[in-house]
Amino acid sequence: MTDTILVVDKLKKYFPTKRGTVKAVDNISFSVTTGETIGLVGESGSGKTTTAQCVIGIYPPTDGEILFKGQTISEAFSKRSKALKRDIRIVFQDPGSSLNPKRSIKQILSVPLKVHRVATKKDHLTKIKSLLAMVELPPDEYMYKYPQAIGGGEKQMVAIARALATDPSLVLLDEPTSALDVSVQGKIINLLMKLQQDLNLTYLFITHDLSLMRNVASRVAIMYLGKLCEIAPTVEFFQNPTHPYTKMLLSAIPVVSQEEKALKPTKIASRGEIPSPVNVPSGCSFHSRCSEKMDMCAQDDPVMVEIGEGHVTRCHLYQDTKVAASIEQEEGVHAQDPVDQPRGDG
Amino acid sequence: MSPLLDVRDLSVGFKIFEGYLSVLNGVELTLGEGERVGLVGETGCGKTTTVKSILRVLPMPPARIAGGEIFYRGKDILKMKRREVQTLRRMELTAIFQDPLMSLNPVFTVGTQLRDIVKDSLGASGKKLTKKQITARCIEALKETGMPDPERIMSNYPIQLSGGMRQRVCIAEALSTTAQLLLADEPTTNLDVTIQDQILRKLDELVEEKNTSVLMITHSLGVVMDLTQRLYIMYAGTMVEEGQTEELFASPLHPYSQGLMKSVPKLTGEGVSDGIPGRIPNYLDPPAGCRFHPRCEHTMPICQTEKPPLFNVENGRHVACFLYRS
Ligand SMILES: Nc1ncnc2c1ncn2[C@@H]1O[C@H](COP(=O)(O)OP(=O)(O)OP(=O)(O)O)[C@@H](O)[C@H]1O
Ligand SMILES: Nc1ncnc2c1ncn2[C@@H]1O[C@H](COP(=O)(O)OP(=O)(O)OP(=O)(O)O)[C@@H](O)[C@H]1O
Ligand code: SF4
Ligand SMILES: [Mg+2]
Ligand SMILES: [Mg+2]
Repeated sequence: MTDTILVVDKLKKYFPTKRGTVKAVDNISFSVTTGETIGLVGESGSGKTTTAQCVIGIYPPTDGEILFKGQTISEAFSKRSKALKRDIRIVFQDPGSSLNPKRSIKQILSVPLKVHRVATKKDHLTKIKSLLAMVELPPDEYMYKYPQAIGGGEKQMVAIARALATDPSLVLLDEPTSALDVSVQGKIINLLMKLQQDLNLTYLFITHDLSLMRNVASRVAIMYLGKLCEIAPTVEFFQNPTHPYTKMLLSAIPVVSQEEKALKPTKIASRGEIPSPVNVPSGCSFHSRCSEKMDMCAQDDPVMVEIGEGHVTRCHLYQDTKVAASIEQEEGVHAQDPVDQPRGDG
Repeated sequence: MSPLLDVRDLSVGFKIFEGYLSVLNGVELTLGEGERVGLVGETGCGKTTTVKSILRVLPMPPARIAGGEIFYRGKDILKMKRREVQTLRRMELTAIFQDPLMSLNPVFTVGTQLRDIVKDSLGASGKKLTKKQITARCIEALKETGMPDPERIMSNYPIQLSGGMRQRVCIAEALSTTAQLLLADEPTTNLDVTIQDQILRKLDELVEEKNTSVLMITHSLGVVMDLTQRLYIMYAGTMVEEGQTEELFASPLHPYSQGLMKSVPKLTGEGVSDGIPGRIPNYLDPPAGCRFHPRCEHTMPICQTEKPPLFNVENGRHVACFLYRS
C-alpha cells in the first residue's frame, strides 16, 4: 500500500464579498502520496493559492475536510499544534516581499527556529549554517547579508531554507520560480529535487509553467474555476490529455522548438468570456469556453470518472454512466451543493 | 530613419550603505517604430532598472545615472524637464510592471485607479467623457485582458485579487492609454497559458492597429519566441548579444546565451538542466573586463582586462564576446 500523506476531501472555500460569494475552491478532492510531487496547474484565479492556504491553515475551509497523516487538520491555524505547524510549510512566489528587508539572513532564519523551538538557543548558529549550506549558499558569506543585497534566486534559496528549518514533511510551493530566469530556476528546481530525495519531502507544486511541470511533477492536477478538471500521472497527462480545458492549456504552451511543437495538441484558441467565480456557469463550469460543448453540458455538472490508472477526468465526453453512477453513490449528497440538490432523487 | 527609442551607453548604479553598486554598464538598446523587441537575462541583471531609467522613475537617491543617453524620437529623456517627462509618460510611454502589488495602490479600489488613468490619458489628448463612459471604458479594458467579472473587480481592493488578476489590472491600465511605446516588464508571469496567449494576441493587435512599439521583458523564452522579432540578451548590466529572435534561438553565440538556452525546461521532458554554474557578480565589485568571464568556460586573458564591445557577426548579429573578434 502506498503511504498517503495528505487527503483533501470535498474541500470548499467561499469568500463572502459585497458582490456575492466567491467560490474560490468548490468541492475538490485529491490525495497526495508521501515523497511525490503533485503539480497543481490552472487558470489564474482558479483557487490554487486558496487550496494551499487551506492546507497550511491560513483559511479555515468553508466545508469539507483536510486530512494530514490520517488526522483532520481542518481547524483554524491558531488551534493547530506546534508539531503540525512545523510539519507543513510553504514557499511563496515572490521572494522579494516574503523576506523582511530589515533583517539579515541570519535573523530571518532564526525566526522559525525560535518560534518552533527547533533548536536550543546555543545551537541556532550551527543550525542556520547547516540550513544555508543545504541550499548551497556559503554560510559565512551570506549570513550577515540583507535580502536586498542578494539576487532573486538567492532570496528564493533563503526562503526555501526558512521553510525547511522546521524539518517539515510536506512543503507547499506556490510558484517558487516564476519570478526567476530559466538558468536560476534550473538550479533551484534541481536543489528542490535533491532535497526531496534526501529528506523524503512531499511537494504540492503550483505553477503555470507546464514545461516545468512536465519535468518535475509525478502527477498533475488541473483546476478551473475552483474545481478540478483532470488528474493524471505526468507522462500520461501529456500524452493523453482528455479534458477540453487541459487540451486548451496544452495547446497554448509557448515553446521554443519544433520537437516540442509536435507534442502539443492542435491549437484551441481561448474563446468566450472568462466566467466569474461569483457567478459560476451552470452545468460544467467550463462550457462557456469549451470547444466540444454539448447540450447537456450547460445543464448537468459532470462528475469525476476514472478513465485509466490514476487518471481521472470530469467531462461529459467521458461520462461512462456505469462508472459515474458508482462514484455518485460513493460521494453521496456531499457531491452536490445543497441548493443544487434535486428534490426527490429519482 | 532614426529609431523611436535609442539607449546609448547607459550606466546606472545605486549608492548603498556598503558602497556603490555599479549595475548598468554601458547598455545599448534600440527600438524601431512598431517593432517588437524582447529582452531576457538573468535575475538581477538590470532589466527593470533599464525600464525604470527610460521612464525616469528610478528612486534617486539611491540610484544615480553615471552616464549615457536615452533618445526618444531624437530627444534625450535624461535631459528633459520634469514636466516634459510627465507629459511623455502620460501620452507616449506606458509600462506594465513586474510587481503589480507595487504599482497598484492598496488603499484605493481597482475602479478608482483605472478611472484615474483613463481620465489622465483623455485629459492629455483633450477629449472629454462622462463618468459613465469612463467606467464603461475601464470595464472594456479589463474584459480585454480576459478578466472575469470586471464589474466586481472594479469595486475590489488589490488585496482581494489573485496574483494573475492584479497583473491583468496593470495590463488593462496600459491598454487604456494612447501610448506609442509599451515597456512590458514580465506582464504575464502570473497568468495561465491560455490567458497569456489571449493577452499576447491582444498585444499583437495593438501593435498592428496603433503601430505601438513593444519592449517585452520576460523569463519565458517561449513568449519571446512567440511575440518578438528581435531579441537582446543581457548579462550583469550589459547587452551581450542581439539578433533576430529565431536565429538567436537556433544558434546562440555568446557563452551566456548558450547556457541560458540550454536551461529552458522542455515539453519533451528530459529533466531540468542545472543552469549556468556560478552566480551573477557582486555589483559592489564587478569583475573587470567581460563581466561573464569568471563563469565562462572559454575565458581568455583579454577577457579579464578588457570589456568586449559588440562585435558585428554575420547577417547583422551582434555579440559582446572576444571569441567573435575578427
Ligand atoms: N481574501 C479574499 N477575499 C475575497 N476573494 C478572494 C480572497 N482571496 C482570494 N479570493 C478570490 O478567490 C479566487 C481564487 O483566488 P486564488 O488566489 O486562490 O487563485 P489562484 O489559482 O492562486 O490564481 P493565480 O494563478 O492568479 O495566483 C479569486 O477569484 C480571488 O479573487
Ligand atoms: N533601489 C535599489 N537599491 C539598491 N539596489 C537596487 C535597487 N534597485 C535595483 N537594485 C539592484 O540592481 C540590480 C538589478 O536589478 P533589476 O531589478 O534591474 O534586475 P532585473 O534584471 O529586473 O531582475 P529580475 O529578473 O529579477 O526582475 C540588482 O542587483 C538589485 O539588487
Ligand atoms: S463537459 Fe462539456 S463543456 Fe465541459 S469540458 Fe466537457 S465537453 Fe466541454
Ligand atoms: Mg496564486
Ligand atoms: Mg525585473
